[in-house]
Amino acid sequence: MDWAGWALFGLVATAVLTAVLITAQLAGLTRLDFPLVLGTLVTEDPDRARVVGFFMHLCAGQGFALGYAATFALLHRATWWIGALLGTIHVGVALTLLLPLLPGVHPRMASQRAGPASRAVLEPPGLFAVNYGIQTPAVVAVVHVLYGVVLGLLLQAK
Amino acid sequence: MTGGYDTTCPRPPAAISDYGLLGDTRTAALVAGDGGIDWLCVPRFDGEPLFGRLIGGPDAGTFRVGPARPATVVERRYRQYTATLETTWAVGSSRLTLTEGMVAEVTGRLLPTTLIVRRLSTDEAAVDAVVEFDPRFGVRHRRPRIHQRREALVCQWGSLAVSLGSAPTLDIEPGRPTLITVRPGRPVTLVLAVAHREPLIHVEPASAWQLLTEDEDRWRAWTVDIDRSLPFREHVVRSLLTLRLLTYSPSRAPVAAPTTSLPEDAGGVRNWDYRYVWPRDASIGVSAFLSVGKADEARGFLAWLLHASRLQRPRLPALLTLYGRHVPAEREVPGWPGYLGSVPVRIGNSAAGQHQLDGYGWVTDAAWAFAQAGHRLSSETWRAVRGFADVVTRCWQEPDAGIWEVREPAQHVHSKLMGWLALDRALRIADTHPLADRQRRRWQKARDAIAAEVRTSGFNPTTGSYVRRYGSEGLDAALLVLPLLNIDSVDSPRVHGTIDAIRDTLSAGGPLLYRYPPGRDGFPGTEGAFLPCSFWLVQALARTGRRTEAVELFQTMLDHASPLGLYAEELDPATGAHLGNYPQTLTHAALVQAALAIRDAPTS
Repeated sequence: MDWAGWALFGLVATAVLTAVLITAQLAGLTRLDFPLVLGTLVTEDPDRARVVGFFMHLCAGQGFALGYAATFALLHRATWWIGALLGTIHVGVALTLLLPLLPGVHPRMASQRAGPASRAVLEPPGLFAVNYGIQTPAVVAVVHVLYGVVLGLLLQAK
Repeated sequence: MTGGYDTTCPRPPAAISDYGLLGDTRTAALVAGDGGIDWLCVPRFDGEPLFGRLIGGPDAGTFRVGPARPATVVERRYRQYTATLETTWAVGSSRLTLTEGMVAEVTGRLLPTTLIVRRLSTDEAAVDAVVEFDPRFGVRHRRPRIHQRREALVCQWGSLAVSLGSAPTLDIEPGRPTLITVRPGRPVTLVLAVAHREPLIHVEPASAWQLLTEDEDRWRAWTVDIDRSLPFREHVVRSLLTLRLLTYSPSRAPVAAPTTSLPEDAGGVRNWDYRYVWPRDASIGVSAFLSVGKADEARGFLAWLLHASRLQRPRLPALLTLYGRHVPAEREVPGWPGYLGSVPVRIGNSAAGQHQLDGYGWVTDAAWAFAQAGHRLSSETWRAVRGFADVVTRCWQEPDAGIWEVREPAQHVHSKLMGWLALDRALRIADTHPLADRQRRRWQKARDAIAAEVRTSGFNPTTGSYVRRYGSEGLDAALLVLPLLNIDSVDSPRVHGTIDAIRDTLSAGGPLLYRYPPGRDGFPGTEGAFLPCSFWLVQALARTGRRTEAVELFQTMLDHASPLGLYAEELDPATGAHLGNYPQTLTHAALVQAALAIRDAPTS
């Protein structure tokens, strides 16, 4: 497996994903903010949460990149379109499984069942994360496919 | 069985003020004095109606539990400091009591998201009662597929399912009244559970009753730490409870009202969908909750404001959905007869696309109130406030729809004043938060320009009062917020002149005020007195040293509440009937603020 490529390009791909997501946020396409969502797992201060969450997001990105690198090694091929395909699977899992399940484990994220005693500050993302804006599924799909394309282009299938 | 119960006799529509509110902070039901739940949207405030008789007529479904024959309500009240409603009827020589509520706290337990518990009881002789369960889902009043299971009756519409359980077990059939006998010491408990895109969860009636009791304890605990020095505390607490019940807990968004198309003009066309969130309401809520010691609720409203407005920032939308999305386009619902024949019934709200300058003032003032109470504004909050102030700096000269959402934009004086407020409060926050000098100078210049223009173009020296629009002579009751702004000193003749002119000219009798001269908004028909304006008048009087008058007026306004202490948006000055969507967040928030102004006013 391309360990050196994984160590470097996992970070590159996650940085690209984060940059495009922030751009989409600034353009008013989505309210999804991965660093904030992850950072508020450990602190409720949004400013600190974004910093902590950014590093958590980089770590998570490295973890997923490991899966991509392993898949390329198994297939003996690393191309942009295989990366894009893996990105599509990745985003499918994220939107239908990871984000909707998050309120169950996130201490500061409300669920659809939240009541008056709830002190959670983050809204639940809902199915396909549409609660964060109707275009959120499209934005999340684009950034993850991009993440896969970057890894497909930069990683080697060894 | 239906023996003894006249199924052909239609229930006459109840007065709006006859309805009580049941809520779980995710959705709400309206219950008439005869025990009929005539309005309930699921799974959220802005969902589709499961019981819609209030506006959709008999075909839209109801869930009535009450005496089998017409009976007089002898007592109707919320159990003190709770959201549990108790209605007692005199039936012959006996009494029948319906105790009901929605279970709000379901987190962390295997419970349905929506759970309504209703219990009929009598302490004297046996009483005949009726259960009329007729759920119809959606705007087309769809009938359910029905399954009679061992533990409950189950009604299904695709991804939505509803179960009705009872103890003792009753043979209930949807759409057919069921006659029962309630005996002393043997109450009848009914449990309605709603499942949307999830499996139904059956709750035993005895357990459901226990859950409701636990909820009551939680509401009582919630009210314990509300400032004990508040004047009219019982009424203020009821309003705060109502505000909390109308706040959607998953996102902390305060819905303007749980209903659509309750008319501002009975039989007329002024029927709007209020099941959305106005940033203005949330902002007033921030100050109201902060001032009574409920910082968590205030923080929740502010967090929602910032999160929800994120997509369109720095522009502040006039209204948003519970999750901060675009409000659906306004459309008319064909075939719905409307409340008292008030058609069209509308879903969605076209005011969402309007430019309303005043919104920036309310929101920035809320952020200022939050900071002033000793809470730190996060950098994102401050960035958002700066963005709002920049928008005001750029756009304050443009005409807008104003607080009353008129469809022809104009140079509204109230909007300009609120634009001034946005810049003034942003500058005050900037005293303790970082701000570029250039930006500060731009804000100061715009703020001073607004003040100068409003004093020349928005003030009528003949009447000594600010006016509704530049160049007009009409008044606007929204200008009663003037003493809160400090653009003019509270002792200024301009402030006193405006308050007195509004009181004289827009009076609808007693404490009631029209929001602007009636019939001048381009819509056919008339409307009632606008209740928040009366509370703003109380507030203005208290702030300008006229506490005694304020107290008298407030007391009179309390007499206009529904028997359960609830308020709609408007009141018919001739009949005293409540008009418009109900109960209304803005009216209850204004009531709380008026009481706070009385509390803070010097007594001498």
